[in-house]
Amino acid sequence: MKKIKKGTVEKIEKIAQDTYALEISSDVKEAHAGQFISILCPPKTLRRPFSIKGFKDGKIQVFFRLKGEGTNYIKSLKVGDSVDFMGALGTGFNIENKKSLLVGAGIGIAPMLFLKDELNSKGIENFLITGFKAQNEVIQGSDKTVVGGSVIDYLDEIIKEFKPQVIYSCGPEIVLKLVNQKALEHNIDAFVAMEKVFACQVGVCRGCVIKVKKDGKVQNATICHDGPVFKSSEVVWE
Amino acid sequence: MGIKIADFEMKNPIIAASGTFGYADEYEDFCDVSQIGAIATKGITLEPRLGNEGDRIFETDCGMINRIGLENIGIERFIEEKIPILKKKNITYILNAAGSTLEDYAQLASIANKAGIEAIELNVSCPNVKSGCLEFGVDSNSLHELVLRVRKNYDGCLIVKLTPNVTSIESLALAVEKAGADAISAINTLKGLGIKIDYINGKFYKKEVQGGLSGKCIKPVALAMVKRIRSAVKLPIIGMGGISGLSDLFEFISAGADAFEVGTHNFTQCDACVSLALELEEFMRENKFSTFKDLKTAIKEIN
Repeated sequence: MKKIKKGTVEKIEKIAQDTYALEISSDVKEAHAGQFISILCPPKTLRRPFSIKGFKDGKIQVFFRLKGEGTNYIKSLKVGDSVDFMGALGTGFNIENKKSLLVGAGIGIAPMLFLKDELNSKGIENFLITGFKAQNEVIQGSDKTVVGGSVIDYLDEIIKEFKPQVIYSCGPEIVLKLVNQKALEHNIDAFVAMEKVFACQVGVCRGCVIKVKKDGKVQNATICHDGPVFKSSEVVWE
Repeated sequence: MGIKIADFEMKNPIIAASGTFGYADEYEDFCDVSQIGAIATKGITLEPRLGNEGDRIFETDCGMINRIGLENIGIERFIEEKIPILKKKNITYILNAAGSTLEDYAQLASIANKAGIEAIELNVSCPNVKSGCLEFGVDSNSLHELVLRVRKNYDGCLIVKLTPNVTSIESLALAVEKAGADAISAINTLKGLGIKIDYINGKFYKKEVQGGLSGKCIKPVALAMVKRIRSAVKLPIIGMGGISGLSDLFEFISAGADAFEVGTHNFTQCDACVSLALELEEFMRENKFSTFKDLKTAIKEIN
């Protein structure tokens, strides 16, 4: 049984403007890029989901940006404090032995860095490009960092030079939608990690559904359980 | 700790509220679902539904608003795919049934009867579908007719879930009792509107979600409604609205409830129903209440 976990804060540090890295030690045995954990943030009703940035020996790393009461609660935690969380949850990236282009936008870099680690450990060639709105928001770790502009503007050139066989991406929906367009133009499969507000974390509340095309039919899929990672060409983009 | 409503037996009075626990075993990775008194299924209609477009969830202070719009797999798939799982895993369940016409409800009732479903909770009060079930929930004559029709087709335990979005919940409760239902569950969500306005780089952005409000913030309303229903009818009442802990159960008993549904709190702690059932059992054992009825009596006799 997975159960609700009690973890312990190992580290909490500022990595960019309003952005923090949190490391929790736990008894979690397995986690993969694209999966997430959901942290209870009392007195809030709903847990806050965070994409996993790194995982080793039960130590889970996530990035979070201060957005409101929930993330302010997490920021107030001290080393040694207990964290009530669920995870690792959701369906992550399916790693294939293919030259991989990783596209991150903003805090969407978190699962891309985890994916990069997983690809590197399997010896799969990869390139990570990430875009940030401003210099003080930059999170380190990419092969190319774009500040102030759009990562999309760089994709044609990178695809031409790097010749990826698959693209992975995480960021705001508008970026993912454009990544999908680029992937279609270049005839490359793309997989994207999506985000929406949800309540239950496990697919029952149906709060976070998107439309996907599967078996020739449009149907609902939940971001928290069926996703967060979807094949971009199967998503019905709004 | 066991209770019985009509011929429907539950191992304890804790029920997972419809819409917060899926159909069956989705939470089994996180708790032993068979320890919960019963699971009220996601609202089920005759045909499958995809639910509403757009944002469906909005968190509020001490609660949340949802506008899912009855997304569900339909009664046929529920019977084929989910009932075998529920039976195999020894999970007690209540079918939450929703429709848009009298005929829908009557048909659902006869299908459920044929399938041997032991309990139905009629959703006559979903605030998130454009036509249909809410209308039955706010008019005592239509509700009386609806419950009569369903009763004719269904021999099992018939529970009717009432909405608080009415002027006189007493008259609706009376209509339900007169029509031959076995119990009332209350309350469904309250109508609410969540608005979030952001001001970014010189421009306003708005997010608006109108739907059903639930969670701790609605408990005082729920308690008031349960008390009013209790004043009007003798039927067993399954109380719900913001329940998260043992003291909430005592408060609902005091207002007149005989069993409880836990809803939104399942989203905060997905093992809440199991924990609450265990907590209640422990309290009764430590304080020497041999039956749940004894506990209810003791609370009702407080001066």
